[in-house]
Amino acid sequence: MTLALQLLVNGVVAGGLLALVALGLAVIFGVMRVVNFAHGEFVTLGAYVTWLLAAQMGLPPLLGVPLSFLIGGAVGWVVQAIIIQRVAARPSLDVLMVTYALSALGLGLFSLAFGGDFRSYSAGPSGELRILGASIGYRSLTVLCVCALLTTAVLILLRSGRLGLALRAVAQNRDAAASSGIDVHRTERVAFSLAVGLASAAGSLVSLIGTTTPYVGHDWVLDAFVVVVIGGLGSVTGAILAALAIGLVQSVCGFALDDAWAKIITYALLYAGLLVRPRGLFGEQAEV
Amino acid sequence: MREEPRLTISAVLPPIVLAALALAAPRFGASAYVQILIYYFAYYLTLGQAWNLMSGLTGYVSFAHGALAGIGAYAAVMALNAEWSLALGLLMGPAVAVVASLLIGATSLRLRGVPFTFATLFFQELALLAVRKIPQTGGPGGLALQDILPIWLPQALMIVLACAATLLMAGVRQSRLGIRLLAIKGDETAALSLGLPTGRLKLAIFCLSAAVAGAAGAIHGLFTASLYPDVVFNVDVSLTSLAAPLIGGVATAAGPALGALLYVGVGELLEIFAPGLHTAVIGLLLLLVILFMPSGIGPFVAARLRTSARPTNAPESAAHKAAE
Repeated sequence: MTLALQLLVNGVVAGGLLALVALGLAVIFGVMRVVNFAHGEFVTLGAYVTWLLAAQMGLPPLLGVPLSFLIGGAVGWVVQAIIIQRVAARPSLDVLMVTYALSALGLGLFSLAFGGDFRSYSAGPSGELRILGASIGYRSLTVLCVCALLTTAVLILLRSGRLGLALRAVAQNRDAAASSGIDVHRTERVAFSLAVGLASAAGSLVSLIGTTTPYVGHDWVLDAFVVVVIGGLGSVTGAILAALAIGLVQSVCGFALDDAWAKIITYALLYAGLLVRPRGLFGEQAEV
Repeated sequence: MREEPRLTISAVLPPIVLAALALAAPRFGASAYVQILIYYFAYYLTLGQAWNLMSGLTGYVSFAHGALAGIGAYAAVMALNAEWSLALGLLMGPAVAVVASLLIGATSLRLRGVPFTFATLFFQELALLAVRKIPQTGGPGGLALQDILPIWLPQALMIVLACAATLLMAGVRQSRLGIRLLAIKGDETAALSLGLPTGRLKLAIFCLSAAVAGAAGAIHGLFTASLYPDVVFNVDVSLTSLAAPLIGGVATAAGPALGALLYVGVGELLEIFAPGLHTAVIGLLLLLVILFMPSGIGPFVAARLRTSARPTNAPESAAHKAAE
């Protein structure tokens, strides 16, 4: 019983972080029909920003979450405005390759700036909380709370207000949205900026519970892709549920076998899922 | 009766002449360093053509070609270590890669566009994880080729393979198959409604392209003589196989050659002047090419040459017509 609870706790923490990364991917795909291969590099950006803050400047690492969100969002705004918007009308191959090239560029720059070392810091919450025999570190608990907070905020944002309405309208039908007076380009910039801001915030949390390397975002984003595909491309709720499910599967498989097998099983499940339901478990609309 | 378009001499001759020159390079006193550069040019060219056959023609972007080459390398080295003959061992490379491509193709080719790309990306990761876990493949420590073969053998084989792959690409591009595949790239629903068996066509070209990638991997396995999963199944190999055609010119036979030349050339220069910048510069190069030369450097330059040639020609021909 204690063991099951412990596995559940571990799974939910990993799933929560994964949900935050995947949420952004789903928003970008939903609103712009763009697969952002560079998403992982924004996770890495947030992780390094927080590491610099905590280890180099001696500031509390939790300050890194809003700061990463802002920096990531700003970089995302610029990237969307000067690069992605330029190719958005071209065939999907071009858009895919642009984000892939951005990812390679980001990876290269991070490797150049920080080298391949594993970076971590000791500042921030420490110790652990025991509930019913299961232990959860205060760091993990912080991560979980921030994830829940941010995810809820995004869900509320998407479901209410003019901005949420505009985002949903562009996701449903770009042309109809444009003809009813919505500034589509601006909405897309907001969507991209928000989504990569979330990725950077997630990166900040990743640095809190793990180590930071130039590849840290790459590893997270692969799992996030699995989540987005299983959840139904562009479906935000699907992505969140799938993220929690993947987190639990990896937590249980990682305990019963080991981490590598957990990943193998995740990908094998994904292939099986694609065979049964090509549009994902929660996908409603046809692939555009 | 419809006539199949034929390959012209001008398309067939350059790759054969270049391959002959490359094969003869050691006789003309090319240093070992130059020979290795030629080898890598041929390797990247072959990978690029393999990717081009599938993704260039159909528009289904594959990230699995690095893994397919890696599977070919492992199959060949394992067969050779089990005392199989050289020819049979090398053939195992493409054979096993084709089986793997059938597996990916059957599960994911009915997904159009983006989900297919995802599926291939996951396959790349799955292959790496599986090879690291299976004891027969040597696990994370890798695998060594037991009989080391003379280095000229893989070098010569790769040059011949690169030439063959380029001719294959040129041939398929001109053939009815190639035109049908380009129709799928243009508008799959329209192609389907014209009665094209799109599913079978896609699977066929994917298998063909996997065979080329597997053969490249098998020969590369002979060349390196030791396989480390983290190197063989690195995403960078997939990046290389799509960078060459994308930089040079997608869906053309000459494009990947130009791309591979730039890739090797820029890579070597960076290795000398700024070793840490390699990934960033390749990423930047790819970004700039896609942003400003959407069809690749080759077609971009060709179009520029045509438009700059036109103004001088046009008045002349108009004058001729007026005179007549």
